[in-house]
Amino acid sequence: MCMAVPSKVVAVDGQMATVEAFGQTRQTSLLMIDEPVSVGDYLVLGAGGNFAAEKVSEETALAAIDYLSQVLADGLA
Amino acid sequence: MFTEASLHLTLRVDGPSVRTVLVRSSRMVQAARLFAGKQPVEVLQLLPAVFSLCGSAQALTGLAAMEKAAAIAASPAQKAARNLLLLAESVSEHGLTIARDWPLLAGAAPSLDHAKRLRHALAGLRKALYPDGDWLHLGGGQLAPDTDAIASIITQCRDTLTQLVGNDLDEVVQPIAFQAWLQRETNPLLALVTSRCWQGLGASAAFMPMPERGPPDLSARLQTDREGIYLARPDCAGRVFETGPLAHWYWHPLLTDLTDRFGTGLMTRLAARLVLLAESLREMAEHAHDLRAEPAAPLPRLDGHGLALTEAARGMLAHRVVLKEGLVGEYQILAPTEWNFHPEGPLVRMLTGAPADQDLELRARLLVHAMDPCVTCTIEVE
Repeated sequence: MCMAVPSKVVAVDGQMATVEAFGQTRQTSLLMIDEPVSVGDYLVLGAGGNFAAEKVSEETALAAIDYLSQVLADGLA
Repeated sequence: MFTEASLHLTLRVDGPSVRTVLVRSSRMVQAARLFAGKQPVEVLQLLPAVFSLCGSAQALTGLAAMEKAAAIAASPAQKAARNLLLLAESVSEHGLTIARDWPLLAGAAPSLDHAKRLRHALAGLRKALYPDGDWLHLGGGQLAPDTDAIASIITQCRDTLTQLVGNDLDEVVQPIAFQAWLQRETNPLLALVTSRCWQGLGASAAFMPMPERGPPDLSARLQTDREGIYLARPDCAGRVFETGPLAHWYWHPLLTDLTDRFGTGLMTRLAARLVLLAESLREMAEHAHDLRAEPAAPLPRLDGHGLALTEAARGMLAHRVVLKEGLVGEYQILAPTEWNFHPEGPLVRMLTGAPADQDLELRARLLVHAMDPCVTCTIEVE
């Protein structure tokens, strides 16, 4: 499935952000995001993670992370 | 650690050609099983959050499956609103592909400004249809279409795509106009394909388009698929169909013309993206006429089983749900990538026997792009 892990923004440097999800950090471009992005926001990344696709609310992100944690725990990932 | 799902393609070369094509997938095809025991409303909130590329299609297919299970018939206006959202997602995805990925594949700079403008225009559509945000309400949310805003969104998309391709899209998808456009337009990817004579790449493989209403045995196969084998490698009596823009629009005059000249190869597949964009915009304008203001529907008793199919950006998406006493009992999702990247599917058919020259990896990458996986796909030549 094209499931996405909402990633938490830990640093912003111009049009690039460092994001974290499940202990992994990576760099992603903010060029496709229209709204301001700050540390603590959650982003959904496009396939491959090079570009952030969407900013999501914390509530939505945490619900998705909780579900994906279950997927991981059940060995379905 | 949570690893992002991906596809890996191994091309085993024997002498002058590719002897074997292996597809390895780490896609989480059984993850939807964990929806069991949840409230339908909870699942409908999760669907757009966990699917990155096709959140609207996943959520709306789930909604339709649940409504079938509960014997709810959404009104024509609700169906029009949902179709608009589905088509908008397809326009956004394929517009992004043409703006960003086509130039990158040819080694040119992407047109990110166009991609961004398209996404920006479409981002307002949900609110213009469902200002209360309840677009995933079973039976239909509070529909209050802002017709001016919707018309403006469609116009902005059309204008952006016209600027992106350098011509009116409805014109470009006419066979004669397409040839003229190809000759004068400097689209880097199409120029590369033409200059290398790769228009017919992959055309020798059998073309098996997905039936319009899905495989006839889909419901029965999903129902008995306890181990998730069918979800990972679907087929229909041994046949692995192709789904996506070409499979859906192969009868379009431009695509029949290109198929006559190049077969169902790379150029026909790339042109199918343009056809999908032009037709989606036309359909969006039609659906906009069917919109009416409506209150949200009352929540009914939720019991039964339902199967729903939608034509998502990358092809046929199927959701099957069993509802028991108001909770989700079973949930399955079958996505287009499982058909298109099946170990015996259309991509493998196109690459098996391909000449093993120095361009093999690039040609394979172009065909992977043409089949449009919803996850990353790496390629290895052995």
